[in-house]
Amino acid sequence: MHHRIVESALICLLAVQICSAQEFKVWDRTVQVHGFASQGFVYTDRNNWLTMNSSQVSGAMTDMGLNMSSQLTDKFRVGAQIYDRNLGELGQWHPSLDWAVADYRFNNWLGIRAGKGKTTLGLYNDSQDLDSLHVFALLPQSVYPTDLRDTMIAHAGGDVYGNVPLRHHLGEVSYTAYAGHRSDSIYSGYPYLVTNSQVYFRSMGGLQYGGDLRWNTPVTGLMIGASRMNEEITGRGTFVNPLNPSAGLVPYEISSTSYWTNGYYGEYIAHGLRIDAEYRRHFSRQPYVAGTEVEIDTRAWYVSGAYRIRKHIEVGSYYSHYTVTNVVGGPLGSLFPSQTETDLPQNHVYDKVAAARIDLNRYTYVKLEGHFINGYGVGTYPDGFYPQQNPQGFRTNTNALVIKTGFHF
Amino acid sequence: MGRKGKSMKPPIRLLMSAGLILFATLNVFAGDVKVIANSTVKADTISARDLKNVFLLQRKTLDDGSAVVPVLAKSGATHESFLRMYLDRGSEEIHTYYQGLVFTGKGLMPKELNSDADVVEYVAKTKGAIGYVSGSTKIEGVKILTVVSEKRSQERVLLTRVEPDYPETLQRLGIVGTVRLRLTISRKGEVESVAVVGGNPILAEAAGKAVKQWVYSPSPTQTSLEVTIPFDIHR
Repeated sequence: MHHRIVESALICLLAVQICSAQEFKVWDRTVQVHGFASQGFVYTDRNNWLTMNSSQVSGAMTDMGLNMSSQLTDKFRVGAQIYDRNLGELGQWHPSLDWAVADYRFNNWLGIRAGKGKTTLGLYNDSQDLDSLHVFALLPQSVYPTDLRDTMIAHAGGDVYGNVPLRHHLGEVSYTAYAGHRSDSIYSGYPYLVTNSQVYFRSMGGLQYGGDLRWNTPVTGLMIGASRMNEEITGRGTFVNPLNPSAGLVPYEISSTSYWTNGYYGEYIAHGLRIDAEYRRHFSRQPYVAGTEVEIDTRAWYVSGAYRIRKHIEVGSYYSHYTVTNVVGGPLGSLFPSQTETDLPQNHVYDKVAAARIDLNRYTYVKLEGHFINGYGVGTYPDGFYPQQNPQGFRTNTNALVIKTGFHF
Repeated sequence: MGRKGKSMKPPIRLLMSAGLILFATLNVFAGDVKVIANSTVKADTISARDLKNVFLLQRKTLDDGSAVVPVLAKSGATHESFLRMYLDRGSEEIHTYYQGLVFTGKGLMPKELNSDADVVEYVAKTKGAIGYVSGSTKIEGVKILTVVSEKRSQERVLLTRVEPDYPETLQRLGIVGTVRLRLTISRKGEVESVAVVGGNPILAEAAGKAVKQWVYSPSPTQTSLEVTIPFDIHR
């Protein structure tokens, strides 16, 4: 615990030292270097959360990134970022290429990006792991579950994007359309969850394509939008067949037959005030066992508000609402009880949050955040609470305190 | 050195684009912020919406095809005024916004400079650069862009603009200032009447004489709008 505090302090000191060195020239082209790091500490009074041993206070919440970018011509830009994190049992300090893109902007209404790019979905999908951008130490977990960060965050492929002003003073529209390959880390929440059922994935991912449309309305500061994502996901690995455990680990492959996400959102920014609201539905259908199929339907929404009360102090609050249902179909589907009652704590997570952020200077900050959580949503899909860290079972309510500090340059 | 009256006809393409927006107020308001641009920027005016989009890195070119690059100050009252006036954000918020682009691979951090003099120097030598400085900053080698804000109730495009004469006595004495005028525009586009809203009376008289020669695009109704005209000996 203490070594993490010292580590954080050293990182902050290092950050201040390197803040002034963020540009250099290569062949007369300016290369910008930027980075960030954050360190969190979490205490929960009941259930352990986010694969951390949080009921004993956990500091296993660290991430960092470093990027380099350059504008090669008026229209052409290249860049790449590496990212690494450790969150409880997730991430485990395996660095990944977060994004690496070549971006060509033909004009205001048409640009293309190729490479591995962050996926535009809702307000914050592409920036959900960039702690320095947000008031909250944890974004609403119903829509942006940090334990599932890498499931939707990026794709290797291409984007088409642009801004189109509307006539008659109707504001303007920004659009993004994308297609590519999603590649999950095997150190992510879902592969970790299913190890509890003796399923061990070696790879998971597949085709991801969709679009986002957002309208900057004529009302100053008001933006609304909608997103859609389709995916075709396959996981490969080994498992112990529960019907024949004596065979040991045998090859295992699972492919979704339907996998999509819809999102609707709005944002209002004015005079230091920011209000966000977002709704997201995620649906998947995939083979289960013995010829059955399971349909997992998650519905999530949140409303958040944040206000800068002083130049360096911002406060915020949100309510996050998450429900999950499982329905097993097929010839033997009736053998598996459906979970459709979202009032039950195992089928929902409701989270009330109050937070404050203090910017110590332009590059460093501290956040303090309280969570009052009802439900634990444990099912066939992770929701922040894992049986591995809660072998004694779950309690209905969990209160959490999160303290986070970080820097960026 | 007085600015002699002359007729200026903006390019047709610019007018077509400008027709999409509604003119109400010209150039700098509270805080006396000047928006300046490199000489390669063809336009003399920029809509408030375009200016916002340029600084939010959502727009790389203006309607006339000029490539543009925003330049910011690192801090200061002019910086805060500009951000509040045109971007509806504070300095912390805009910094966070740029970080979002930088860390998601969707943009670069714009150039930030320490002083108005640095901004003027950088804009003067950098193709397509657009920046802002305080109203009292000495301007050399750059052009001042007139910022046009949108109002939903009016739609008039300035077709002919006549620059006011700078009274020699005031110019010699180094007296600068900004004049605010309220114009009544006929349906045909002629300036029917001019009322002084604020500013030095002698400068206001000179400005009034000039704007009476301005011609706007026709409109179904008579229109009233406010314009702000800066007088600057450095220009």
